[in-house]
Amino acid sequence: MTVRDGDGRLLPLAIALGGLIGLTATIVWGATGGYFWPMWVWLTLATPPALIVCGKRFAGATRGPQRQLALQAEISAVVAACLGCVWLLSGLGYFWPIWPWLGLGVALALHALVVHRDEPFRGRERQLLERVAVLTRTRRGALDVQAAELRRIERDLHDGAQARLVALSMQLGRAEARLDDRPEVAALLRDAREEAGAAIAELRDLARGIAPPVLADRGLAAAVEGLAKRSSAEVAVDARLTRRPPPVVETAAYFVVAEALANVAKHAGGAAARVTLRDAGERLTVEVSDAGPGGANPSGSGLEGMRARVEALDGTLAIVSPAGGPTVVRAELPCAS
Amino acid sequence: MRVVIAEDHALLREGIVALLREQEIEVVAQADDGPGLLRAVAGHKPDLAIVDVRLPPTFSDEGVRAAIEARERLPGLAILILSQYVEPVYTAELLASGEGGVGYLLKERVGDVRGFVDAVRRVADGGTALDREVVAELVRARAAEGRDDALATLTPREREALALMAEGRTNAAIARAMVVTPGAVEKHVSNIFAKLDLPATDDDHRRVLAVLAYLRAAD
Repeated sequence: MTVRDGDGRLLPLAIALGGLIGLTATIVWGATGGYFWPMWVWLTLATPPALIVCGKRFAGATRGPQRQLALQAEISAVVAACLGCVWLLSGLGYFWPIWPWLGLGVALALHALVVHRDEPFRGRERQLLERVAVLTRTRRGALDVQAAELRRIERDLHDGAQARLVALSMQLGRAEARLDDRPEVAALLRDAREEAGAAIAELRDLARGIAPPVLADRGLAAAVEGLAKRSSAEVAVDARLTRRPPPVVETAAYFVVAEALANVAKHAGGAAARVTLRDAGERLTVEVSDAGPGGANPSGSGLEGMRARVEALDGTLAIVSPAGGPTVVRAELPCAS
Repeated sequence: MRVVIAEDHALLREGIVALLREQEIEVVAQADDGPGLLRAVAGHKPDLAIVDVRLPPTFSDEGVRAAIEARERLPGLAILILSQYVEPVYTAELLASGEGGVGYLLKERVGDVRGFVDAVRRVADGGTALDREVVAELVRARAAEGRDDALATLTPREREALALMAEGRTNAAIARAMVVTPGAVEKHVSNIFAKLDLPATDDDHRRVLAVLAYLRAAD
């Protein structure tokens, strides 16, 4: 219902028109005399302005169930007032309006009860929704910061400690090369150089475990190509990515493929594997399938770690591995940047 | 032999320059980023460029890209990449980047002066010098279960010789590394070529390429 009093002209118009008709009726009664019937005309004429006033109040109420309740209250009030007036004008007999009043009151009370029934829960619900939104945002922020930090550490290892060790190893080598006439000292230097080489190799493995350099340098498709080349299984890569996902998503997707391919090499008995990378809209889909014997245990520690990584990003991980194969690992990661 | 070096770590760059000069290899220019390398190559027309994978400004794979571009501008330029890590994608790109010597070594190999200088000379002469880690990955991928029965027929010693060959070493160097006579190496090599059904050749360089082509055929 829309009682629009757009320009505020409806109410004065109704009052003026009502006043005119009421006056005319009274004059007609004055000329004819008899029972004072114009009071009924007045009552009828008073109703539209009352409804307009109610409509105005109602238009100001908020939307939803509250608004419907307000509408019912306004109409009930007008109807109740009308009935009261009818009783007054008809000569104050038995107070019959009590019954319709009671009916209107009960209906209004029931409606109010329905509307306000879950009020205490709604406040809590809103709080929880806000909390979830805040937590989702801050968790993502924390993960982004962590991913950036890890890449920085990887780069620092490369440019700092590793580079110094390489320089050290080179100096040792040059010293060693000048000591042809003193083989026992040269042997000491060679041992020292080999020790430095072992330290470099350990740092390299550490850095690769954090995030392989090629992932940061060339992106997910190239890094997965690298995994495929390294794998002892035959791996076909089908990557169709339209843009680079955020680093934290890239890293998670990379480790899903790495873990899945490690499982293929371990359990698939030399079967070929296929890696598919797609981004559609705001989602990155990673799928690794193999034609091996299947029967993978989805709660194995490697798969659990994979799941934790994916779920931390609000992604989903599905592992289908019926006995007899094939095994399909599929991760979907939201990647709105 | 004329060499340019692109390496952003001053300590390492100067160390390598000093090391090469001690071995009477002429370093004609030094650069510390990709554009600098391209300028040095254009200006000096060197025989060999020794390039770090990670260079400013991006500190990603700038070195590989710049080296491949330098070779496009100066065909036949030999490239020796130094890297902190083995990355099959970069190795494949380098090997596919056209005529001329190619090397991909882990940085710590510069500590082994004799081995490093050998590799530098080999690459400058149009040969190959692949890090043993790179070769190990190629062999591992190729030897994957159920994929290559021919490789499985090699004896452990023949596999060792195959890996050394793939690194780009000559027969004499393989003999030194395996502590056997050159004659024994010849025998291993001819066995390997027969078992893998590769065309026999006396040319060291062509032999290396044949072995590499075989190992990379799986890609």
